[in-house]
Amino acid sequence: MSLVSDPKGYWADLTRPEQGVLAFVLGFALLLLLGLLTGGIGPSYFLFLVGLAGMYSLLSFGLNVQWGYSGLINFSVAAFFGIGAYGTALASASSSPLAGGIPPVVGLFVALVLAGVLALLIGIPTLRLRADYLAIASIGLAEVVRIIILNEGWLTNGSAGVRGIPGFFEGWPVLETFPETMPGVIITALPGPTIVLGTNFWQALLNVALVLTLVGICYLVLRRVHRSPWGRVLRTIRSDEDAARALGKNTYSYKMQAFVLGSLIMALAGVFYAHLNLYVGPGDLNPITTFYVWVAVILGGSGSNRGALFGGFVIVAIQQGTRFLNEFGWIPVDVAPLRLLLIGVIIVLLMRFRPQGVLPPQRELIWRGVVDDAPSQPERGVRGSKAGESDD
Amino acid sequence: MVLDLLANGLIYSSIIVLGSIGLSLVYSIAGFANFAHGDTMTVGAYSALVTFGAVGGLGGAILGLPFGFFVALAVGIAMAAVVAVVTEKVVYEGLDVGSIGLLITSIGIAFVYRAVIQMGFSSDFTRYDIQALRPIEALLPYGIRVTEHDVAIFVSAVVLVTGLHVLLQYTDLGRKMRAMADNPDLARVSGIRTDRVKLWTWVIGAGLAGAGGVFLGLYGRLAPRMGFDLLLVIFAAVILGGIGSVYGAMLGGVLIGMINQLTPLLSGVGALLPIVPDGWGIGLEYANALAFLIMVVVLLFRPNGIAGDGEGT
Repeated sequence: MSLVSDPKGYWADLTRPEQGVLAFVLGFALLLLLGLLTGGIGPSYFLFLVGLAGMYSLLSFGLNVQWGYSGLINFSVAAFFGIGAYGTALASASSSPLAGGIPPVVGLFVALVLAGVLALLIGIPTLRLRADYLAIASIGLAEVVRIIILNEGWLTNGSAGVRGIPGFFEGWPVLETFPETMPGVIITALPGPTIVLGTNFWQALLNVALVLTLVGICYLVLRRVHRSPWGRVLRTIRSDEDAARALGKNTYSYKMQAFVLGSLIMALAGVFYAHLNLYVGPGDLNPITTFYVWVAVILGGSGSNRGALFGGFVIVAIQQGTRFLNEFGWIPVDVAPLRLLLIGVIIVLLMRFRPQGVLPPQRELIWRGVVDDAPSQPERGVRGSKAGESDD
Repeated sequence: MVLDLLANGLIYSSIIVLGSIGLSLVYSIAGFANFAHGDTMTVGAYSALVTFGAVGGLGGAILGLPFGFFVALAVGIAMAAVVAVVTEKVVYEGLDVGSIGLLITSIGIAFVYRAVIQMGFSSDFTRYDIQALRPIEALLPYGIRVTEHDVAIFVSAVVLVTGLHVLLQYTDLGRKMRAMADNPDLARVSGIRTDRVKLWTWVIGAGLAGAGGVFLGLYGRLAPRMGFDLLLVIFAAVILGGIGSVYGAMLGGVLIGMINQLTPLLSGVGALLPIVPDGWGIGLEYANALAFLIMVVVLLFRPNGIAGDGEGT
């Protein structure tokens, strides 16, 4: 039942929400394409948006492991994102008050180690707590991390933040100079104004390739992990922790593993962000980042990786889309609060009308072969043979 | 120095207590951690700002505050209560998503409140149109720098908290509320109209939060984020006192408020500890972080708070 050989059958095989999401995604992609062709969106900016969306998808993947798989209410997403960004920034940036100048690949590992340690520090005390206490404790500890980063200037440059972060591929053999060596391509054939694809474009393209690789790897790994026995235990813990414990599972240990895994993925998003934005500041650790990611996961469908991917893109659409509204003079109010209002309204509407999210995990959790091989009805009908019918 | 910090701690505590009582009440009777509580305080503060701008001073003054301000305070309390009741009726009542779902919903509600306020008043700081006062002369020899406004905040908070105590202990509604906090199902089969009691809980909790917000604006300044920024500190107070217990929340509020204002005393702590350098200390910028750490420690070792029975849940 592949998309190429039988598009109609593929469409009919989807559930209603899947059809809706697919139509929405196609429509949105078409709109973006139109914007690109008419020159409304610069190609570099477009790639920047894709990079941001990939980053939010990574964050959503991380939270999905914690909340979607295992039911851990982690409100410290921003702290792990921030520690990832600061980890690589402090290692590689030219203005870093610590080491600085270390290749970003090493910075990546520094960030992951830091995030792993922080996950243990936050997880060990809080993961034994009841769900709602975990929420409050984790957001409190995330604030502690933010306050430390804001105030310990000798360590982090304080409120000034860290500038001068190199691109991720600095120090790589070919890719380091790839944007400079690529020729500037000038496109005039399209109906819009002339588009020049210069160094910025190739740099952005490289970033997008990086984030898509990260997203792809995480998606495949998580899909495999989610269906594995390990993932099954996590899902059991989410629905009934006492049952999991009664079956002899060390639930605390499983929750800790899920927490650390999720936190590492969030830190990965932070590393990418630092090398995309080339600047990190304490503002990146504001709790609002945490709630953006929560909206992405709940909107997509808690426990669903496809959903998390979708949610990540929707968040960027909301974040950057509201920015465009600034250009319309007739809107009487400031646009920044409009974004907040939109996020708030989405949360409330979701919880009211579709708490399971747009794409709840259903067939994702079943091995494809099981569905395809299973007969839709028994080969020999019981009633038929009783009635004396023969099936040959 | 210490006396001054204690006095300021008492005033800051008054504000925290007003917030924490409502959060605790709603937690025990509506059954979820309400993340919109801080923004309910903001609603109270801005309602008072608008009212005070409209009615003006109205002649005389008590403790340096014009009569008009007390009208504004009443309106702030009323508006916070009305907004909370409308939210309960329109949003929370129709939800069937468990306590975690309600918690997440309340974050959305918090954003909606804040966004609406920000649209109306911009995200900048603002103040009530009241003359700032000099510290009371009589207390200066003791090193205490508090204004008459601070005294007014403290006295008003004491009056409100005493009122709540009388209500809880000696009125019919108070007994019903306590019964419902104890065991909602038992309260229901005993013939208590639990949904009506729940609405009154929202009125009282949000009303006190509104008052806290008005005083928070008077103590410092008004900003759309003021309530949300204070929310975690209030959570720390509620958890320290034992979540769901009103008297615990009062005690927790006083303690957290005091600790918060007494943090400068720790700035010389480096000289006392063996390993760390002498110049090192914990300054005021870590006051909130300290409160959050206390909160986590309490959750770990006494999840029912210092006023609870000490058994974990």
